[in-house]
Amino acid sequence: MSDAKMSSGLSRRMFMTASVSAAAVMPLVNSPTRAAQPAPAKPGEPRDLSAVSMRINKQTYNLALDNRTSLLDALRDHVGLTGTKKGCDHGQCGACTVLIDGKRVLSCLSFAVMNQGREITTVEGLASTGGDLHPVQQAFIDHDAFQCGYCTPGQIMSAIGCINEGHAGSEDDIREYMSGNLCRCAAYPNIVAAIVQARDEIRRA
Amino acid sequence: MRPFVYERPTSVSAAIAMASDPDAVRVPPTGASTQFIAGGTNLADYMKLGVARPERLLDLNTLAEPALRQIRIDDDTIRFGALVRMGEAADNNDVRRRCPVLADSLKFAASGQLRNMASLGGNVLQRTRCEYFREISWPCNKRDPGSGCAAMEGSNRQHAVLGTSDACIATYHGDFAQALVALDATVDVEGPRGRRTLAFAKLHKRPGETPDIETDLAADELITAIEVPLARWSTRSRYLKIRDRESYAFALASAAVALDMDGETVRSARIALGGVATVPWRAREAEDALQGKVLDEAAAQAAAEAAFADARPREHNAFKIPLGKRTLVRALLETRDLKG
Amino acid sequence: MNQAAPTPKENQGDPVVRIDARLKVTGQADYPADIVTANVAYGALATSSIARGKVSELHTRDARAVPGVLDIVSYGDMDKTDKPKFGNTGASSIGPLHDKTVFHDGQIVALVVAETFEAAEEAAMLIRADYENERPSASFDSKGVKMEPAAGKSPMFKEDAKAGDFDAAWADATVKIDEKYSTPTQHHNPIELFSTTAIWQGDQLTIHEPSQNVTGWKVELARQLKLDPANVRIVSPYIGGAFGSKGPMTARTAIVAVAARRIGRPVRCVVNRMQAFGTQTYRAETRHRIRMGARKDGRITAFGHEAWEVTSRPDPYVVGGTSATARMYDYGSVLTHVSLVHADRNTPGYMRSPPETPYVYALENAMDEMAVALGMDPVEFRRINEPEKEPIGGKPFSSRSLIKCYDQASDAFGWSKRDPRIGSMRDGDWLVGMGCATAIYPTAAAPCAARVRLTADGEVRVQCGSHEIGTGIRTIAGQMAAERLGVGMDKVSVEMGDSALPPAPVSGGSISTASVCSAVMKACDAIREKLFAAAAGRGAPLAGSGNAKLDLKDEEVVTETGKSAKLADVFKAMQVGALEEYAEFAPKGSSPEALGKLYAGQSEFHGGENDEDSVKYAFGAEFVEVRINSYTREIRVPRIVGAFAAGRIMNTRTARSQLMGGMIWGIGQALHEATETDQRYARYVNRDLQDYLVPVNADIKQVDVILVPEIDHQVNPAGVKGLGELGNVGTAAAVASAVYHATGKRIRDLPIRIDDLID
Repeated sequence: MSDAKMSSGLSRRMFMTASVSAAAVMPLVNSPTRAAQPAPAKPGEPRDLSAVSMRINKQTYNLALDNRTSLLDALRDHVGLTGTKKGCDHGQCGACTVLIDGKRVLSCLSFAVMNQGREITTVEGLASTGGDLHPVQQAFIDHDAFQCGYCTPGQIMSAIGCINEGHAGSEDDIREYMSGNLCRCAAYPNIVAAIVQARDEIRRA
Repeated sequence: MRPFVYERPTSVSAAIAMASDPDAVRVPPTGASTQFIAGGTNLADYMKLGVARPERLLDLNTLAEPALRQIRIDDDTIRFGALVRMGEAADNNDVRRRCPVLADSLKFAASGQLRNMASLGGNVLQRTRCEYFREISWPCNKRDPGSGCAAMEGSNRQHAVLGTSDACIATYHGDFAQALVALDATVDVEGPRGRRTLAFAKLHKRPGETPDIETDLAADELITAIEVPLARWSTRSRYLKIRDRESYAFALASAAVALDMDGETVRSARIALGGVATVPWRAREAEDALQGKVLDEAAAQAAAEAAFADARPREHNAFKIPLGKRTLVRALLETRDLKG
Repeated sequence: MNQAAPTPKENQGDPVVRIDARLKVTGQADYPADIVTANVAYGALATSSIARGKVSELHTRDARAVPGVLDIVSYGDMDKTDKPKFGNTGASSIGPLHDKTVFHDGQIVALVVAETFEAAEEAAMLIRADYENERPSASFDSKGVKMEPAAGKSPMFKEDAKAGDFDAAWADATVKIDEKYSTPTQHHNPIELFSTTAIWQGDQLTIHEPSQNVTGWKVELARQLKLDPANVRIVSPYIGGAFGSKGPMTARTAIVAVAARRIGRPVRCVVNRMQAFGTQTYRAETRHRIRMGARKDGRITAFGHEAWEVTSRPDPYVVGGTSATARMYDYGSVLTHVSLVHADRNTPGYMRSPPETPYVYALENAMDEMAVALGMDPVEFRRINEPEKEPIGGKPFSSRSLIKCYDQASDAFGWSKRDPRIGSMRDGDWLVGMGCATAIYPTAAAPCAARVRLTADGEVRVQCGSHEIGTGIRTIAGQMAAERLGVGMDKVSVEMGDSALPPAPVSGGSISTASVCSAVMKACDAIREKLFAAAAGRGAPLAGSGNAKLDLKDEEVVTETGKSAKLADVFKAMQVGALEEYAEFAPKGSSPEALGKLYAGQSEFHGGENDEDSVKYAFGAEFVEVRINSYTREIRVPRIVGAFAAGRIMNTRTARSQLMGGMIWGIGQALHEATETDQRYARYVNRDLQDYLVPVNADIKQVDVILVPEIDHQVNPAGVKGLGELGNVGTAAAVASAVYHATGKRIRDLPIRIDDLID
């Protein structure tokens, strides 16, 4: 079969009716009409809320969440911790980085329900109650490691993870292991300098 | 995203039982109404995009079996539990020492955060990142069988030149799988019909006329472990990944190479290519071309020519043929120069 | 001190730490989508999947049936509002829900509002449209595009620059270059997603949305919604990157406002990354033909620059960068012509150095080609063609330190160690290349208002409706006030990003520092005068100081002779607790209506090439080293040096960061950034950060910024030239020059990728 034929077989009609969403061409198992009708809440229905308990910045939160809610949206919309940012919602920018049980991860790709019993740390949980900044936070200030500041919470959480993992040994390592955090203002050299400073300070401590 | 039921099985057998239904053997796992989730880095992305539409998710992170989370290394194998995270395997000093190509293929994939999330079992099953596949308003034979392929005559710079069909030219974007297919790895699979061990090379299916069927797995089967035999070539191995930017990008071309050398002569070579093919791509023609040869630039070049003899370019990806060859040549020479 | 805080040289301010640094590192800086809003409903857009045609039917039944869906705003629902206007404040004249015509891919067809984000997203994906589909025209080479001369189509581009007899000079030239260049479609992709939160309180509408133009948006939104502008407020205290993308208001803002009014609840709509490609503006692709003729001694005698730009069907968006390229060197003769090509695309918009980035790329590439053709060092070639006056109007430059920039940057870079022979500088398997190019950006300013208050205890509050998009404007406005009022930065607070504040112009065109600082300075000076009059008056603390010059330092009024009076005592003598001044600044040459227009949301720009007395530009010189693997041909930039002169530098820290970020943008433009359009369907394909590549940390190694001292009293009272857009001009040409040096391949079409270098 020729490729050209295949492509024109891309079906003009199909393409034209293609729609805002291909969902229309996929059968829905749960008919929306049926789902819309008030039904007694049975456990195990897709739209039921799930109970999730998490420790966030050393405080326990008991939440009732839609299974679809990402950890990122849970933090921002349900817990009120908006320091963690949404930049792409698809694991492509790093702005939503938090620590789960001490490891840096992307909260946009983690369903909140999957974090039952986990220990979450966000940027709001870093400074001491007395107001002293974490060494990484202070280093970001000292080295002007941001401009607009939007990717900054993710950069800082990722930097802490990077140092903890032992991947901040050299500047080249820092660049490689911090490449999952896009900075569109492009403060990269300053971010690297900040992490070097913070790493040394953390090592001394 | 459509709503889904979320459940936490506590053992492999429970997970399989929960996933098992009469349809499971007939529907490709990616189209199944019940799907497993571990790291979620690929599945959550595709659920948000409406590409994956499970009604029920079974969370594998609650499985109790310790072996799922262990890396076991003995004299002649490395065995990765399926729930080991990419980052953990990449950072394992013994893995790096015994078989650098495994560690590098993981280290140069994704980002630090994603590697901390993604499980090895999920990683090898990741689906293509073809933009026409990702955006549901485009026709796509892989996502929506029979609808056509928009990439064929479209923006196809990222697409495959090897293993393509008239139905699909989507690239397999993973890195770890290239190392696994090169090293004759096997996967342990459990399902309601029992356990089986599968050659890694048999796990992925070329698109052919059914690009929606991506693997040999049934929807109720679960990868529990990946095993890599260690041999004379394991230590002299390397993963070279070429991309537009220095990090956090998919390969335009990559090569996983492991060499068993007798002085300057190749006793045997293990080669796989990434970024250029629809599935993890073992380049046996290139391996054969090298066997018994002195590995110099000319021999490497001849192997590269053999590897791409059947390559079929489209409008925007023809550069992947010379790039793929050069990537392999460079990887071969750099691997040769490693200590055995 | 560290690299981020360069020691100030002459006419350069201290590297004061950003006033909002602590907020930004602790997650406390509230970006518009962070505002906690009670009872908020969530919005999600549904967008078209065709680029040209008509929506014959929109199917919303399935979407409405999703539990939690509150409302769907679609065709007919915006009829009582006015359509958007294309112009300074409006991104496009397309009112997507006013008309079922589809003008471009990704056009809004509906807004779903639901109790939860998840329900809104689910429902938006269930909306389906039937189309009457027409074959769209994607770009330059597509059938059905409409081409027209750009001059006069937009107030931003009045005429094609020309000088002398180009045809004769071209015919006579001994050495000639006649080449074509192109730059791709690019999207700003700030990391902050675009969003609108609309809150009604009776007739009062508050919009929380990242904006570079709160006053302009207030007026334009009020017009669309037929409200009194006094009842509309735009709030945008922190903006997560903008680069021009948040300058013009898009159609979404009014749609979200209408939705919020309909359901009687606040609505927040955060646009997903993919939909942003079609619902926001972008940098359109450009094409260029440059003809350059020179004598053997290196003097350019003829410069011809023809260019083509893509825009939407209805709107004449044009950048027209020939106004800068035509004035760059001493050409002898100049002929330029810009054409607009209307295609089935969304309307483009400003993106960091909108005219200069693509146009100077073409010019500087041609300069490098000509230097090669002449067998001349490219720096020397530019030196030879350095003009006394700009060639189009014959006006002097208010200041021009280009050669100083070249001297300092080439020294720092080690240009003298470059072996000019092609492919001669190899390092193992890596081909090394070095190249350079000129950066230029017009210096402009616009009317601006500010209010400053000083209290007896030395607290200063600055209020100005400008926008902190990451440039550091909040910091330097505070710095200006601290300096003029003699207090420490710890005593200063600065409020910005709210249309309820004194109006400021759009934060674009690199005008903010000049405009805002001039207004703040004026307000501070009025406070100073009152204080000084009081301090030196009869019976006052410094009575009898006579005509001695007074100043404010360390919360004291001080005389030249060393006498001083505490601020608190002066206030006591005045019997007031606080002094507050409201000041309006208008740049020289402003029209009588200029300040009135400021309140009406229109920014009247002055400067650049438009002033009577002189042309005003900031300049820079950039040098890059590229490394290209001899096997696999990937291109990396391990080192880049830029020297820039931009008048008074308010703060060397924020200035360096701006320029550094700009240069890295330039690297991205050279090697990474391009929006791919499926030419068959006029649809963007790589609509995300997975495949729209911008540089990552590992791409950037050594970046050196040299701030070349320059004093320019003509540009504006603050003596400031903007530099937020200067850094990424020329960079791509410097990279192209270095790639040529390394490989002998001249790549004229951006981005430069492996594809171009491999065979």
